[in-house]
Amino acid sequence: MSSASGFIKAIESGSKHLVIRRFTFRYPEEKLRFVGDGYQFDPKKGVGIAGYRGRHILLHDKCTGCQLCAIACEGIAEAIGMVKVDENWKQNKKSIMPQIDYGKCVFCGFCVDACPFYALFMTNDYELSSFTKEHLIYTPQQLEVKPKYDGDIEIKITDRGATHG
Amino acid sequence: MGLQVVKETEEDRLMTLSVGPQHPGSGHFRFVIKVDGDYIVYCDPDPGYVHRGEEKMAEYRNVIQNIPHLERPVIHDSNNITYAYSLAIEELMAIEVPRRGQFIRAIASELNRQVYTLYWLAIYGIFLGHSTMFMWPAGDRELFIDLLERLTGARVTHAYNIPGGVRNDMPQGFKEKCLSHIAYFEKRLREYEDIFYNMPLFRQRTEGVGILTKEDAIKLGVTGSVLRASGVPYDIRKVEPYDVYNEIDFKVQYMKTCDSFARSYVPFLDMKESCNIMRQLLDKMPDSGDVRTKLQPNPKGPPGESYRRVESGRGALGYYIVSDGTPKPYRVKISVGSFRNMLALNHLLVGNKLADMPSIYWSLNYWPVEADR
Amino acid sequence: MSYTESFRFGEFIGSVLWLVFWVLIIFSLVGLPLLFVVLFYVPLPPLGDTPLTPYLFLTMVVDPTRTVPIIKFLIHTDLFRVAAFPGFMYAALIAAATIFIERKFLAKMQLRYGPLYVGKVEGILQLMADGLKLISKEIIVPAAADKPIFWAAPVAFVAVAGALAALIPVAPGWVVADVDVGLLAIFAILGFFPLITLLFAWASNSKYPFIGGLRALHQIIAFEIPFIIAALSVVILAGTLNLTGIVESQMASYWFVFFLPISAFVFYISSLAELERIPFDLPEAESEIVAGWITETSGMIYGLIQLGTYVKLYALAALFVVLFLGGWAGPVIFPQEILPGYTGEKIYNPTTLSAIFWFTIKTFGVIMLMLLPRGISTRIRIDILLHTGWYKLIVLSFINMFVALALIYGGVLGPGGLLVR
Repeated sequence: MSSASGFIKAIESGSKHLVIRRFTFRYPEEKLRFVGDGYQFDPKKGVGIAGYRGRHILLHDKCTGCQLCAIACEGIAEAIGMVKVDENWKQNKKSIMPQIDYGKCVFCGFCVDACPFYALFMTNDYELSSFTKEHLIYTPQQLEVKPKYDGDIEIKITDRGATHG
Repeated sequence: MGLQVVKETEEDRLMTLSVGPQHPGSGHFRFVIKVDGDYIVYCDPDPGYVHRGEEKMAEYRNVIQNIPHLERPVIHDSNNITYAYSLAIEELMAIEVPRRGQFIRAIASELNRQVYTLYWLAIYGIFLGHSTMFMWPAGDRELFIDLLERLTGARVTHAYNIPGGVRNDMPQGFKEKCLSHIAYFEKRLREYEDIFYNMPLFRQRTEGVGILTKEDAIKLGVTGSVLRASGVPYDIRKVEPYDVYNEIDFKVQYMKTCDSFARSYVPFLDMKESCNIMRQLLDKMPDSGDVRTKLQPNPKGPPGESYRRVESGRGALGYYIVSDGTPKPYRVKISVGSFRNMLALNHLLVGNKLADMPSIYWSLNYWPVEADR
Repeated sequence: MSYTESFRFGEFIGSVLWLVFWVLIIFSLVGLPLLFVVLFYVPLPPLGDTPLTPYLFLTMVVDPTRTVPIIKFLIHTDLFRVAAFPGFMYAALIAAATIFIERKFLAKMQLRYGPLYVGKVEGILQLMADGLKLISKEIIVPAAADKPIFWAAPVAFVAVAGALAALIPVAPGWVVADVDVGLLAIFAILGFFPLITLLFAWASNSKYPFIGGLRALHQIIAFEIPFIIAALSVVILAGTLNLTGIVESQMASYWFVFFLPISAFVFYISSLAELERIPFDLPEAESEIVAGWITETSGMIYGLIQLGTYVKLYALAALFVVLFLGGWAGPVIFPQEILPGYTGEKIYNPTTLSAIFWFTIKTFGVIMLMLLPRGISTRIRIDILLHTGWYKLIVLSFINMFVALALIYGGVLGPGGLLVR
């Protein structure tokens, strides 16, 4: 008779789930909320600050064109190349800044770890699709723009189950 | 033309099936089986569909750049596969990891073990035709992926453990969230028992099927949950404790029945024990401190070799690294649990029915991408 | 260069006008004559004393006094009975509703949404989208397959499933084929299914369908016997093989499920096995033999087989309702007149409508019961299946047959019995 009780327990467990709230969240209408502003790295202390590793943001007034981010990425994904920019900054004598190819980037964040001047951070933006491969290469001007990301869904555990709300 | 009487040969009776990469029940792996009616008489595994040359490529990158690359063989369990690598490099270069960093590494490793085991359980459910058991673990995995995303910054490709510690400290409020998710997850584990492990049809399909005796298991060299399901209480976290595992009090989960049911139940018991371990780790963790030792930009150490092992979701995962004094390693050899468990596939499938093939194959905890590296 | 950049409004209007033109041409050159030809062969009633010609019929929409008698006449023709009401359209609509309900029900049990975006309300048009997709796919026939059987078997599958649904009475007097030995005819038709499955599997000329076809053969044959014996105990209590007669004898006493619970349970398990539903879906086991005997189907052939499977599900659920749950028995809930004080032409028959209502509700209840094991159970293995089918279920069904015999001989049921109202 243990098999009958096994079946009955299974039916009970399955039917219990008809009143538990559903777990999926509907992506384009609802977006996940990230705590913080994105992954950052503090070169003085040598440790990172927790955050989501999305698209990069380049602070033009701190970047000196030292190429350390490109050298770090060479062994990983070869996604960063240095290009000449039109801007004139005091700290950037050669006027070169990184451009990132998101077709190759694996979003590991080691370029952020490599930057010693607090110039390269990562943000919460991950919606980077485009229609052509050339549009995926983000120039330094595009990398300067801080993206607007407002998501407000996170996992809430209630007594009727866990849901995204 | 008259009729001829043709005698049926052995070759005519057997049907060759290729449970190949294009099969809903095999993953990125092929094995050729010959079937006589409903019984399997011959099995020939054919790995290599996902071979990418990870070990060779690791020789062209320096120690830190290897991390995103070496976590790819088992991307679901990335914190464990980079854990072994970091331990081996730290032994080579004599790097000390601060205490808080060791605790955070262990927490990330346990969280990843849950993520991997839940994924494995989901696929096990769908292999046996239980679509609900596919959806529930896949949904509950989100709880842990959410935690890992708060901690490391990415949902699956963490790149978090590096030689020297971890990359960043825990964010605010992580400990409370972790404890609440673990409490909810333990309630879900009871539901899994009701609908899957105690379901009479599942038990009939897996009890007594694919018996791997203790002597055979030790002789074939299987590892991980497969070994523990055959009655050998061997867990690397107890046998060669690394980092802070010698301060944690936990029991090695093993079963003596050696069949497919035991192999599917031991990871479940492991998950329960893992929740326990995580609570102790969160408790004992020092409140503040460094999480990482600062290294020079191109770290290099004296020539030498080192071998360190870690208990991952599939078994013993070891790295053997030989260094010749330059920043790039001379030879990296990854010894994975999946490849060793594959030997048991041949031994177990022959003589069993075709209908038992999914339950035996997946209970061996074989991850094709890792076995091919 | 994206697709949105090459859109020209003028071309869009041109294509819409072209479409309208073709619809008008097809309707007037083909549709209208077809309608006339059909009406030519349907014997139309005389209206008053003038015989009704097809032309006059088409003007009925203009003159309301002609509409109601014409519609009532059409509803009672044979063509309507076969094609629409208790026949194919009804079965196909319930089958389509079942597919949608199954997906949403399972999704709710698995804590997810199911079809959601097609159609404004929770994905209700998903079925239509799936149907359109299947129609537009290419049908790939394997090179060495046996082409006549490969094309004929799915159509035969749907036809036999439709034949099964044709024997089920939905309301008193509403059955497509009122056969005196209705239950025996159902058993005979059920015997076709393993044959069609095996023919199709063999004609596919491939290894996985071959294994699936053999498994289907073993499974369906093994479970036909408990199915028949469980149904026979109902025949013993009712005294007739005619399905309408069985329902009427349940209306005279109580529903048979109270007297024959074990038979109902055996019938339920056997019909799950006949329908190849989880836990008995070995012939289509996805992780072991790719898709079993339907591996080589694609496009509309797959669509036909799914339609046939779900029509069969409706037929067997309806059979369960007829045999054990009293068919259409239930209180009359529709009012006698459509509005109080209305003394005109009688528009509907309240007994028939409540019979249809109760029957549909009970059928949906039984269908939900048949959908439930898919959410909670794994697949069974073939030797456990055969062991269960040949040993356990036959013994259980015999038990209830003896109970039924005892009830008849003890004078509890049957003519003049104690519990007969």
